[in-house]
Amino acid sequence: MSASLAQDELLITRIFDAPASLVFALWTDPEHFRRWMGPEDFDCPVAEMDLRVGGAYRGMIRSAQHGENWFGGTYREIEPNHRLVFTFAWDDGPSGEIETLVTITFTEQGGKTVQMFHQSPFSSVERRDSHVGGWTSAFEKAAAYAAQVSQEEKL
Amino acid sequence: MKSADPLSDTFSALADPTRRAIIARLALGEATVNEIAEPFDISLPAISRHLKVLETAGLISRGREAQWRPCRLETKALQQLDGWLEHYRAFWTGSFDRMDAYLAELQRKEKSDER
Repeated sequence: MSASLAQDELLITRIFDAPASLVFALWTDPEHFRRWMGPEDFDCPVAEMDLRVGGAYRGMIRSAQHGENWFGGTYREIEPNHRLVFTFAWDDGPSGEIETLVTITFTEQGGKTVQMFHQSPFSSVERRDSHVGGWTSAFEKAAAYAAQVSQEEKL
Repeated sequence: MKSADPLSDTFSALADPTRRAIIARLALGEATVNEIAEPFDISLPAISRHLKVLETAGLISRGREAQWRPCRLETKALQQLDGWLEHYRAFWTGSFDRMDAYLAELQRKEKSDER
């Protein structure tokens, strides 16, 4: 039961066979973004980005079964090819109205990129960081660990 | 104040480290306010306020029958949290699969352009 308490946070690590600059561009260039945003059976006909800290983005994905789903948020941190932080919320639906914070780090190792994607309800991240400052440093440790693992895989 | 969205209540209730610790304690079984307060260096009224927030969010319930009103965990709110997480996990995992395929396609194209 206590295990489910950490579960207001999501962490997905993926290794892509591409340089970090390209993986970063897939998030920040609307032309690229539209080509992959949304699971299978969805397409993403709308993506608009004002890529600067404080700038907004907005998009829509749709499928025959689920119709149109609009989403959007604001950029918080932009470190080209390394780190991207933005708020994310669906306009409506069961998890709509809850603003979340997404933090993605990109670590290039030998032509591959370790992408660490973290998402958490916005209020709890803000509060937790102000209380302990723990999450950010834990995340950086995890990023260092992922880099180490991918280094070892090459050996 | 109770908002229209029960998940928002759950999240804000869990944003506090003391309340997370209380939930962790109750995961072991029912407990009275005194038992819950024991490991904390804060007053009983303060603990009661935290319990009230957790109760409003539907994370715990308190027995009406007994004088000491034991607190217990309500699993429904936690299950909703799981649902929230699963929704996003499936969404992003599916998107990253497409990202992988698109990256491969882009790089194939780049290579054939070089030739």
